[in-house]
Formats: sequence, structure tokens, C-alpha cells
Amino acid sequence: MTRRQKAIAFFVTLCVLLVAAAVSLNIGWVFINSRSLAPLVLGVISFALIIAGLIVYTVFLVLEIKRNEDHDTFINAVTHELKTPIASMRLYLQTLQSRDIDEQRRQEFYAIMLADADRLHHTVDQVLAAGASGQKAKAVIRSPIDASALARDCVRLALARHHLDAGAITLDTPADGPTVNGDAEQLATVVTNLLDNAVKYSAGNVRVAVSVAVPAPDTVWIRVQDRGMGIAPKQLKRIFKRFYRVQARDLRNIKGTGLGLYIVRSIARAHNGRVFAQSEGLGRGATFTLELPRLATDAVTPAEGQADADASHPEVVK
Amino acid sequence: MSRVLIVEDEQHIADGLRFNLEAEGHDAMVAPDGESALRMLLVERQPVDVLILDIMLPGKDGFTVASELRAAGEYVPTLMLTARGSAEDVLRGFEAGADDYLPKPFELSILIARVNGLLRRRRWNEHDPPGSSGTSDTPAPDVYTFAGRTLDFTAMQVHAHDKSHRLTVMECDLLRYLVKNANQPVSRRAILQEVWGLPEGVDTRAIDNFIVRLRRYIEDGPAAPKFLQTVRGVGYRFVPRP
Repeated sequence: MTRRQKAIAFFVTLCVLLVAAAVSLNIGWVFINSRSLAPLVLGVISFALIIAGLIVYTVFLVLEIKRNEDHDTFINAVTHELKTPIASMRLYLQTLQSRDIDEQRRQEFYAIMLADADRLHHTVDQVLAAGASGQKAKAVIRSPIDASALARDCVRLALARHHLDAGAITLDTPADGPTVNGDAEQLATVVTNLLDNAVKYSAGNVRVAVSVAVPAPDTVWIRVQDRGMGIAPKQLKRIFKRFYRVQARDLRNIKGTGLGLYIVRSIARAHNGRVFAQSEGLGRGATFTLELPRLATDAVTPAEGQADADASHPEVVK
Repeated sequence: MSRVLIVEDEQHIADGLRFNLEAEGHDAMVAPDGESALRMLLVERQPVDVLILDIMLPGKDGFTVASELRAAGEYVPTLMLTARGSAEDVLRGFEAGADDYLPKPFELSILIARVNGLLRRRRWNEHDPPGSSGTSDTPAPDVYTFAGRTLDFTAMQVHAHDKSHRLTVMECDLLRYLVKNANQPVSRRAILQEVWGLPEGVDTRAIDNFIVRLRRYIEDGPAAPKFLQTVRGVGYRFVPRP
């Protein structure tokens, strides 16, 4: 039992005891005042309020303790994600500084340091993106985007970044790519995060299918399906919470900040869309679907015209 | 040639360490997780002179690996690497049986110096069983005797009633400090700061676990200690002749 579990158990027990005390006092009150109606009714109402207050208080307390725990997990994960690439880069820089190293090795070391810098950059980006999506006021700069082209670009980048064969991630898109209205960079972040997760939780055997579909005339789906470790049913919603990471024995070697899916959800909502996860259970892979409103084809032209007008008359925008 | 086992799941750091240790003339191996390190040391019985142990490992973490090694009687000198670097982590590492620690990111030259320091201790232990006279690169034997017990700070061993116990560097330093201040009360805070160089604000109760272990080595009845007394409200006092 961790300290937090103990704290939760303590407060829940305290709440139960206080509620029990209040209930027995209430029963006593009912007996004493059984003949006069006014104190009886007033007393019962007051006791009901006290009991309800106790329960609400305890529930909030327990939720707060749990949030604190997620926050600690996050700090630990981010500390690790920030310090590890820095430690690695320092190690190689000091090696280069203090030893005679042949040219080939030197190039190897540069490549390793570049990869570390990329990893650091990625973590910083995630943290900043999560911070930005916490601020609701930030408006999305929208432009029409070809969902198929977006998916294709993300798949290409993911294959390169994870050094995968072309067959590891397949792509299935309709010939005429459906158009969505949104911020190209943010939507690319969504698909990239989903793809990174799919690769990360595939335990080396990466077989990911990306598809773009139009399930209803006004809806576009971008789906990322993997055959990896899968997700337990009760985790399917929680994984989108900020800082949340699934705690399981065989997942502990998978590093992350617990921000990726939170960012995905925030961006999806800012685009009036949603994202959801499906899985048949542990070991059976998972499917993530990004659902966005489809931009009607006839609406594309005016929107583009609007964008052009804005570009040619920047002072009008103000 | 000395054999160093690096237990580190971050491949870049593991490779960088291996490269440097090999450049220093050591024979370096890498284990990517705790289970494989335990297998190499306890099952395959691979000869290892120094262990470099990361704390955040997949599966069994560094603390678990260190305490399982000690429980199995394997006292390979261990240098812990920790990214969190909090004093609580460091103390937990010492309790688990680590001999030294470095926070990440570390200074390469310091890491190599620490590894060489641990290797030196290892050599003294191997070539100079307690009681034998020192050779040229061995310091003078540093032995303290009281009430039929012998504390050998060079070989890092305790002998009491025909039984010997190996000490970790941390236990050894703590005993030496208590002996130096024999018959005087020593505060927990002083132990943390002067013996282990840890900052203030650390939970000083962590020391109690060390004291419990030391009592098991030197006391007849660890529950009613005679030599290592608790001074209520202050800390501890070592009394060689109670």
C-alpha cells in the first residue's frame, strides 16, 4: 500500500464513520421529536445536508489526491525524458572532447547526439503543446486540408523516424481525399502522436493500418489501427486524461510523458471533432479514431477565396 | 583487465559508457534490464568487478536489483546512476546496497574516477584478506578492535564471534564515523551531512535502517543494543566498552 492509498483509505474510513455517527444522531433526533413536526422536519433536513456535505467533501478530497498522484507521475516521467537525452549528449560531447576518435566513430557519435536532440525537442514540444491546449481561448487558424494527403505525409514521416520498412504502416484512403477545415500543423500532430503510440505499443512487431474514411456525408474519420498490446476496457477513456499513463508491468519500459493523447483530444475538440479508442482487450491491438466534421466540397472555394483575400490584404484582417 | 557490467536501458548512454570504459582499458558489458543483469551475475556467474546500475529500468528497477544481489550474497561494488537525483533516492540506493551514486547528467571524468575508486577497493579486498600486511599500492590496514569484534575498514568487513560480514562503502563510512566519535552522541543530521554529503531536509529516519543493519553485525542482542545505543531525541552513540 502506497502512502497515497493509505491516505485515501483513511479519509474514506473517516467519512464512513462520520456519516454513521450523523445517521445515528438523526435516528435519535427522530425518536426524541417524534411528536412535534417542525423540529422533526428541520432536523432531518439538516442531517441530510451534513451527510451530503461529508460525502461531497470526501469525494473531492480523494479526487484531489489522485490528481496529485498523476501529477507526480508526470514530473517523474518528464524529468526522465528531459534528463536522459541531456545526459547522453553530455556523455558523447565529453567523449569527443577528451579522446582521440577516428572519423567514422565521430560521425556515429554525431548521429547519436542528433537523435538525442530530436528526442529532447519532441518532449519540449509535447509539454508546450499540452500547456497551450490548456488555454481554451487560443483560436484555431483554419484552412481546408486534404485528410488523405495529411495522413500520407504523417505516415511517411513516421516510417522515416522509426526506421521502419514501408510495409509496417499501410495506408488506405479514398481516391478523392475528403476535406476538413483545420490547422494543418495541429492535425498533423494528432496523427503523428497516434502513429507514435501505435509503434511504441507494438512491442517491436509493427503492423499499423491507417485509413481515411467518410462514414457519414458530413464526417471524416482518420483511423490508426495497431496490433499491439491493446488497452483494457476500463482504461479506454482514462488514457486521454492529462498525465495519465497506464500502469502495468510489461508497459513500464515504455517511456512517455502522459501528454500525447491529452494533446490529441484537446486538438480534436478545438476542431469540433472528437477522438476515441477501441480495443478488444489486452494483447489484441487498439484502434484510435479521429472524427472531424467534413468540409462540404462546395464550401471549399469560398473558404479558399477568403484565405486569398486575407493574404492579399493583410490590413483587412485586423 | 577489469570487467564492468553496465545495466542501462537507454542504449545511447549504455553505448557511450561502454566506449569510454573500453578506452580506459576495461572490459565492458551491457545488460539492458535488471532481470538480465541478475541472470548474468547470479545464474551465469559471470565475473564482474564493478556494476554500473541505472535506477529507472524496465521491469525490476535498480533498487530491487541491488538488494536482490546482496540477498544472494553477491557484493560486487555498485555505482548507481539516477536521473531523479533526490536525496531520498540516493538513500534508498544506499540502503539497497549501492556503494556510490552519481546523478544524471554526470561528468564523464567523475564517473571514470568513481569506477576506478570502486575497482581499487575491490582489489584490496581480493589480494589482502584481513590481517595480511599491505603491499605497495595498499593503504595501511585500518582496523579497529573492541570487545572481541574487529572492524576492518580496508577490507570492509566486520568480524564478530567467528562470523564475518561484508560492508558496503556506506556502512563502512558510517561505522568509521561512529568509531571516530566513540562515546559521544552523534546526530542523524551530522551523519547525513558529514558522512554521506547529503543536503539538509532529507528524512533523517532513513539512517535508522542502516543502524539496524549495523547492530545485526556487532550486537549480541540487536533488540537490546549495548554498543550502538540510541540517544533519544538526538541520534546514536557508539560505546566500545559499555
